[in-house]
Amino acid sequence: MNIREVAWRLFSAELNGAVYEIKGEAEKSPSYAVTPLGAMVNRVLMAGVLTEKENVGTEDDPLWRGRVQDTLSGSFYINIGRFQPEAAEAIAGIDTPAYVAVVGKVRTYTTDDGRTFVSVRPETISVIDEPARDLWLLEAAESSWSRLKTMRKAISAGTADKKDLVSLGIREKDAEGVLIALDQYGTPNSMTYLKPIQNAIRTILPDHSIDLGLPEDIPDDYPDEIEIEPGSTARDNADMEDIVLRLLEELDTDGKGALREELESKAMVEGITSMELEEITNTLMDKGLVYEPNIRHLKRI
Amino acid sequence: MNKEDRITPLFEDLKKVLEGKVEDAQLRNTIKTYIEDYGVDENRAKAAIIKKFDPSTTSGFVTADTVSKKIGDLTGTEMNIDLTVKIVYVESREVSIRGKATPILSGIIGDDTGTCSFTIWDRDDITLIKGGTYSFRNAYTKLFRNQAQVNIGTRGKIEEVDADIDVRSTQMPSSEPTVAKIGDLTEGMGSVTVTGRILSIEARNVIANNEPKTVYSGIISDESGKVQYSAWNDFSLNEGDTIRVKNAYVRSWRGIPQLNMGDRTEVEKVDDNLIELDDTVNRRTVAEVINVGGAIDVEIDGMAIDLREGSGLIGRCPTCNRAVRDGECSLHGRVEPVADLRMKLIIDDGTGAISAIVDRGNTEGITGISLSEAERMSGDAGDPSVVSRRIAEIVLMRKVSVNGNVLSDEYGPTMIVKGISFKPVDVKAGAERLYEEMEATL
Repeated sequence: MNIREVAWRLFSAELNGAVYEIKGEAEKSPSYAVTPLGAMVNRVLMAGVLTEKENVGTEDDPLWRGRVQDTLSGSFYINIGRFQPEAAEAIAGIDTPAYVAVVGKVRTYTTDDGRTFVSVRPETISVIDEPARDLWLLEAAESSWSRLKTMRKAISAGTADKKDLVSLGIREKDAEGVLIALDQYGTPNSMTYLKPIQNAIRTILPDHSIDLGLPEDIPDDYPDEIEIEPGSTARDNADMEDIVLRLLEELDTDGKGALREELESKAMVEGITSMELEEITNTLMDKGLVYEPNIRHLKRI
Repeated sequence: MNKEDRITPLFEDLKKVLEGKVEDAQLRNTIKTYIEDYGVDENRAKAAIIKKFDPSTTSGFVTADTVSKKIGDLTGTEMNIDLTVKIVYVESREVSIRGKATPILSGIIGDDTGTCSFTIWDRDDITLIKGGTYSFRNAYTKLFRNQAQVNIGTRGKIEEVDADIDVRSTQMPSSEPTVAKIGDLTEGMGSVTVTGRILSIEARNVIANNEPKTVYSGIISDESGKVQYSAWNDFSLNEGDTIRVKNAYVRSWRGIPQLNMGDRTEVEKVDDNLIELDDTVNRRTVAEVINVGGAIDVEIDGMAIDLREGSGLIGRCPTCNRAVRDGECSLHGRVEPVADLRMKLIIDDGTGAISAIVDRGNTEGITGISLSEAERMSGDAGDPSVVSRRIAEIVLMRKVSVNGNVLSDEYGPTMIVKGISFKPVDVKAGAERLYEEMEATL
């Protein structure tokens, strides 16, 4: 059964620190970026102000990059390629600045010199109004706070055993994430994650004096520029399935389906090996999305 | 086209598939006969020739040998197996795959080693009769809720078998007695004890083991949720009774747990004060529903984060009501479609995500767009997708409250929505509450 990955609500401060990735190894298993607070994130729901956008590709083959400021103290990056045509069309029509909500997959990219950058590849991006943005701020604040509490509980328990954490009332999945996070990043500096929560509450309640007693000079911890991988090599199986489905549509010019040889060579260009292709097409057949009208063709249903 | 050119590629393909089962010259001659002498179309010819030289093949493109298996031995990873089974239960329905209505047959099959569920995709050529014995060929299996499930795809085959087999029930409760809340009941629980109130009851007459029998079924609830029950004996249940049920067992159908009261089950009336039901009974998070696999009559609040393909103004076949694509019904060919309006939403509450299918009435209600207005919009723009785009603008990234039954299938959990409304959230009050809690903790 395909259970859709939840869309995590989190602030950029936490997202941008999620440089450790668990790659899905088994067939169809998704990849997760693990945040310093222990969220195992495949999909996110994030909102903020789209401050910049740029098409670094061509009109026919767009590659959009954009920057979204989610709180006063942070922003995250998005990139949209040709395999997200709906999102590409949507961002083309948005004038900056605008409040946007983004639902998308988390991507990490490590440069040759070993620096890792995190970005979001939107499935959808839509313009929202200020109340909707405020609602997102609240959900992200509540969600972050709940992770901070879980992290604190785990640290004070002083155990590295998942079962012990579960017996403390921590959900198994959360316990797993927390232990990976502690192992990879060590004890998180709570100031980094409390600050966006404080900022969010201040934005929602401008007339209150909101002060969690944090030092006001915590440096804004996000990169000014990030490098986004040139192609799109880091993909999970779901991405590759989408690519193959689109190729099948493109190659089916006469209604007979796509020729296998053509599909194979086009897939190769997209970085999908013939072995991977075989596996993906089998999966797609099982899902009832494609079929073989004959040995030489493959056709999308 | 030169005739020789048509034969060589076929020859190469078939040679690979038949792997030495026939001499090259004979194969080439046979292809010639089919193609040139009889003018058979290439695909037909290919299937026919494979069958001719490799009688064990049941469909044109099976290359690996199949293996006969028993249900009790299935691990959920088999790729190409044959099974001889009896149909314990069968149901047909249809799902929409990328806008195309696809028939699905599903149910339970059994043999002398056990029972399991099965699914047959997109095969309107197959009819199964409950109680009949069939040979399932070129089946494959998957793990579904930790149990093997048998699937027949487009390459599989089913033949009726003239034999009767005894089905060993794996449905007998076997596990340790447990006390559970109704909201926590999950597939496979045996010997479970629950306390709840009978919300409804109806009697049905069925034929079981060739004998007429009265089955009582309805809904029972405690503070944690509601569940359908079936009582196979007369426990003199009455609506409004608060009862303790011992030694019941739980079976799921399409992910929705059902409480079964069988021969070993004991029922006693208990004090009504043990159960206090209020309007929060139906409230669940998405994660809670997914853990159980399905539920009846639940209410979920979450963000509408995606509007799937097949939403908005759609056409249905006037004969079979399937959604049609480009005026073509998968069953009835070119038809004059009947217009309908619907939404296929993804609702995500931060704990998980489920699909929600919203019918015309509810879609009209929440979007304020009537079917006739949608048709006018589509006509003006010359493009029906203006409707789904407009709907997306209205509902996406808004918090909604949906209620209905949640079932699970290959596409994950889906709610068939009975009601949907926008859920107003007092963001300021929420922020104040959060701030107070943080101040008190930090």
